[in-house]
Amino acid sequence: MSVIAVEGLSKTFRTRVRGTGLAAALRSLARPEWRTVPAVREVSFSVEPGEVVAFLGPNGAGKSTTIKMLTGILTPTSGTARVLGLDPARDRTRLALEIGAVFGQKSQLWFHLPPSESFRLLGAIYEVPPAELERRRSDLVERFGIGPYMDVPVRKLSLGERIRCEIAASLLHAPKVLFLDEPTIGLDVVVKREIRALLSELRSRDGVTIFLTSHDIGDIEKICKRAIIIHHGAVVVDESMKTLKHRALARKYIGVKYAAPANLELPGLSPVKRTEDAGSFVVDTRRHNLQDVIRALVDRGEVLDLTVEDEPLEDIIAEVFQGRSAEEARGAAWAGGEAES
Amino acid sequence: MTCRGPRRPAPLGIRTALRKYSTAALVSLRNRLAYPAAFAGSLLTYGLFVFVFSRIWASIYSGRGDIAGYDRAGMVWYFIVAEISVFGFGHFYSTLSEDIKSGQVAYLLARPYGFTAYHFSQTMGNTLGDCLVLAAEGVLLGRLLGGPVPVTSLVQGAALVLSILLAGCLQFFLQFAIAMTAFWLEENAAVYWIYQKLALVIGTFLPLEFLPPAAAAAARWTPFPYLSWAPARIAVAWEPREALGLLAAQAAWTAAAALLCRGVFAAGRGKITVNGG
Repeated sequence: MSVIAVEGLSKTFRTRVRGTGLAAALRSLARPEWRTVPAVREVSFSVEPGEVVAFLGPNGAGKSTTIKMLTGILTPTSGTARVLGLDPARDRTRLALEIGAVFGQKSQLWFHLPPSESFRLLGAIYEVPPAELERRRSDLVERFGIGPYMDVPVRKLSLGERIRCEIAASLLHAPKVLFLDEPTIGLDVVVKREIRALLSELRSRDGVTIFLTSHDIGDIEKICKRAIIIHHGAVVVDESMKTLKHRALARKYIGVKYAAPANLELPGLSPVKRTEDAGSFVVDTRRHNLQDVIRALVDRGEVLDLTVEDEPLEDIIAEVFQGRSAEEARGAAWAGGEAES
Repeated sequence: MTCRGPRRPAPLGIRTALRKYSTAALVSLRNRLAYPAAFAGSLLTYGLFVFVFSRIWASIYSGRGDIAGYDRAGMVWYFIVAEISVFGFGHFYSTLSEDIKSGQVAYLLARPYGFTAYHFSQTMGNTLGDCLVLAAEGVLLGRLLGGPVPVTSLVQGAALVLSILLAGCLQFFLQFAIAMTAFWLEENAAVYWIYQKLALVIGTFLPLEFLPPAAAAAARWTPFPYLSWAPARIAVAWEPREALGLLAAQAAWTAAAALLCRGVFAAGRGKITVNGG
């Protein structure tokens, strides 16, 4: 049985249209106008136990709306969602006992109290028996290294310390599924690395299914095995990280540095960046033979350094977004043209 | 690995529910006590109001024995008790209302608790400390500005405490219901403003007995006198049979307001929209 099963899930919001000026305001009072905004459109996917899935998309793509439907906060307009076999909208309270959720910078810890108090409250809210709560608490305190912060008011903790406490707090009731909405936002490199290691351990040691939204490519590369990309409310890519990265194989980033100034003009290939003695190229291996390009570069002078890298994941994802936007724009233009003719 | 269904059944045992909501109340109280200085504002305002009104009543009562059955000392004590539930139980409406307007309420819903019950426990935990501190200040000021404490028996004291608690519960449910109107109204501050003013005029600043008979009779059919008039009346004009009636009316209005909250919340919940994503 899938942990998460989503079929044709859609959500539309109805918002009031407001014109500018006094006349429009008065008109709006007498005859309000409404606009329907589709936030999520016919989304379908499933997540198996123990998977770590990145749910990606540009701002406004519908990521958080989808997560909120999966956690029972929002009711879908149409379609079905099942999490751990439950309907999130109908069984919100029951489902909440089985899942954990960390919503970016929305804290679940009491700001003026030490985390130990919030842990006590969350343990009671999630109906964890006192003895089990104590055991879980000790385990999480040790694993997350938050012992020194447990009795310090949350307002006095750094963001990294607080996020560690937040994630530990969301695991007190041993959830089977963890929804993370931008968990490493605003954290420094070291803390991000620690959080990623902890999340990876959660999956491997406890078998927790993790559903993560993030704009941080590092989070996605280091933790996730699969990516679902959503754009304008619809799923545009759903494939393993390996397959997604495979797209990068078609393009290589080559950097070269010479001992002395060199001519970097190659037939049919211009450097994307260059100085007198260095340059970098993006090589489409479907059009250029990689070996020929490297040989040509080596022939231009004494090489001090030469690097060949895959296309960064960030660029691949950006390209998916841009490609989809361009397709939609073309589709709209075509539809417009058809309508006019 | 296979995925099993939820491990815990849905219905809440009484002990589990008690632990859940009493912990919420205790943590909330502890949060309030984290800043003892925060009591200073309400202590000062309450003290100032009591002092100003005691002077006003002294001037009004100069040369008169009593008005509508209340003497000068009685009026000072009336105001002291009536204001406890107004100041003590606070104005949590604005926080909840803002949470609804901004969509933040969505995050509060992602928890396994009864939304209204959790907020009730939290508000009670948060405000009971205030009520106790204000009551202590009230007794001190009453002795200085009014006269002897009008509560003379244990039964009267118990009835007064119960009445103040019921007033707090009623205050909670009414404010909660008003906050819920934010699901439909983009700006609901006016609704709260009207509620607040009616609560002050009907029973807080003036006892119902001071109103014209028709207005007083009409007011008895609204929940407003039971927010402050009922406890104040039990404190300064103790009559067991009347007190029982007042407590019963408070309990009935509290139950009605709780039902109203339940309905309004259920209807409003489907209207949650969340920005962002």
